Amino acid sequence: MENIALAEPAAQLSIWALFMQAGWVVKLVMLGLLGASIWTWAIIVDKLVAYGRMKLTLNRFEQVFWSGQSLEELYRTLADRKTTGMSAIFVAAMREWKKSFEKGAKSPLGLQNRIDKAMDLALTREMERLEGRLGFLATIGSAAPFIGLFGTVVGIMTSFQAIAASKNTNLSVVAPGIAEALLATAIGLLAAIPAVIAYNKLSSDAGKLGVRMEGFADEFSAILSRQIDEKVAQRV
Amino acid sequence: MRAGFTTSVIMHAALIGFGLFSLSAPSAFEVADVEALPVDIVPMEDITQIQQGDKKATMQEKAAPTPTQRPDIVADAQKAGENSVDTDKLITPEAKPKPVQQSNTPPPSPTPTEKPAQEDAPKPKEEAKPTPATEVAPKPQPKEEVKPDPVKEPDPKPQPVKEPEPAPKPPEQNTASIEALSKPDPVAEAIASEKPVEEAVKLPDAAPAPQAKPRPQPAQAETAKAPERKDADKPAKEAASKPKSDEKEFNADDIAALLDKQKASGGGAKRSSQQASLGGEKTTSGNRLSQNEMDALRQKLGGCWSIPAGVDDAETLKVSVRFHLDRSGALQDRPEVIKGGASSGPGRTAAESAVRAVQKCAPFNLPTDKYDSWSEVVVNFDPSDMF
Repeated sequence: MENIALAEPAAQLSIWALFMQAGWVVKLVMLGLLGASIWTWAIIVDKLVAYGRMKLTLNRFEQVFWSGQSLEELYRTLADRKTTGMSAIFVAAMREWKKSFEKGAKSPLGLQNRIDKAMDLALTREMERLEGRLGFLATIGSAAPFIGLFGTVVGIMTSFQAIAASKNTNLSVVAPGIAEALLATAIGLLAAIPAVIAYNKLSSDAGKLGVRMEGFADEFSAILSRQIDEKVAQRV
Repeated sequence: MRAGFTTSVIMHAALIGFGLFSLSAPSAFEVADVEALPVDIVPMEDITQIQQGDKKATMQEKAAPTPTQRPDIVADAQKAGENSVDTDKLITPEAKPKPVQQSNTPPPSPTPTEKPAQEDAPKPKEEAKPTPATEVAPKPQPKEEVKPDPVKEPDPKPQPVKEPEPAPKPPEQNTASIEALSKPDPVAEAIASEKPVEEAVKLPDAAPAPQAKPRPQPAQAETAKAPERKDADKPAKEAASKPKSDEKEFNADDIAALLDKQKASGGGAKRSSQQASLGGEKTTSGNRLSQNEMDALRQKLGGCWSIPAGVDDAETLKVSVRFHLDRSGALQDRPEVIKGGASSGPGRTAAESAVRAVQKCAPFNLPTDKYDSWSEVVVNFDPSDMF
């Protein structure tokens, strides 16, 4: 590391030195922001992986569903598995359908309602799982700059107090304190920027997945309703 | 979730580690070492205002002062000691002591023999010698010296020039000296004074001779200056000079002769080989009065001026007054009304009040070095400016 020619050699300007020079409030802010950043990236990575996987399963299910395979068979293969996404909705609807038919439901209208409710429930649960923790990203995105700014203000405040005490207004005396204080804002922005970007992207991705699942639910509901009508017509 | 968390932690650790090592301390700015230039604010007038030159010369592109009147001392002047002529011989210092020796020697009277032998003009010296020989004579001489000099201012030259003159005196003085001792000097003076004059006329040839002689004879060296006083001084100095002569032989004048006689002011600073350009007598720090000084003058005059009251036409009160000041700031003459005013009526009142104002304020305190600009002052008295 090169020695800086400026001022006294004690005033080092490397990031680590800046952090160590800072007061405890600023240190706390910086550590908090660092933690937030870590958590943000954890969420981002997790969500990206989850959404990718979800997309994959949706694609595979749709392929299977529209392949002309019997619904009964499909249900039997999926029933005992842990299901996600569309398959979860499909399983929920089929379970309701089976329960009602096996016990000999009288009203096709009631059956239709119940199936819709079950699918809605499954859909909501899925969406909740998809969008969970995205709120944290939004919070970090909006709050981190302010937290960093708080650290900066406190840091500059203390450094100005120190300058006033030292009775020296030389720039080389003023600069390190301000640089150290600004580091807090830098970390805040470092956490906030990816958080905001990721939130926007992930929430839109989640929206797309949700729409896709909703579409499937509606479609399946229509299919089931047709089936119900057919069954009723057969009985009558 | 755990996978995401671990990747995030790893990512951050990598980033911070990278930052700590690569983003360490930013290199210091390369600030060029620029020497700070001291800047003085110099009023333009100091430069553009009058510089030394000739008042009547035409404007020239390059300012040049008037060539100095007195020839500057040449750098390697050889005018040593008390020489009035520029020679490289160091004669002068010895001149003084030796006449004294001569005066001392006369009693033994070796000198008379020497002088005639060396020089053809026997008259002056032979005659001169007797003076020391007659020891009685010297006493009256000093008395004469004091008095004759003031009396005969026109004659001093002949006296100094001619050593011979004293010679005639002694015999007379011997006679006269006795008288002189008893009588008041004026008589002796009159006698002495007449004769030298006559002889001076008679012996023009002899006069140059003694001057010339001393030069070749450094030993006896009676330089042009020396002979003048010596005849008179010899006796007077005899007593005092003996000790002095010994001292001088040892040190003072010899050393003095070796010293650089050039005056400190002998440098060529003012010397100019060019024709003088337009300028004042000397370079001044701005010849014109500054605005402040003019304002002060104006204010002072305004305070001294009592404006004639009750005149409705202000135009008649406008008066221009010119006056001359001497270097001390005092009025040199009565202020002169050069514009405005009238022979009667309010115009006259105004003119008189203006003149009075100048006279009342009279000693003006103005910067002496700008005298050129305020030696003559024209003041416009205008009541509308005063309010």
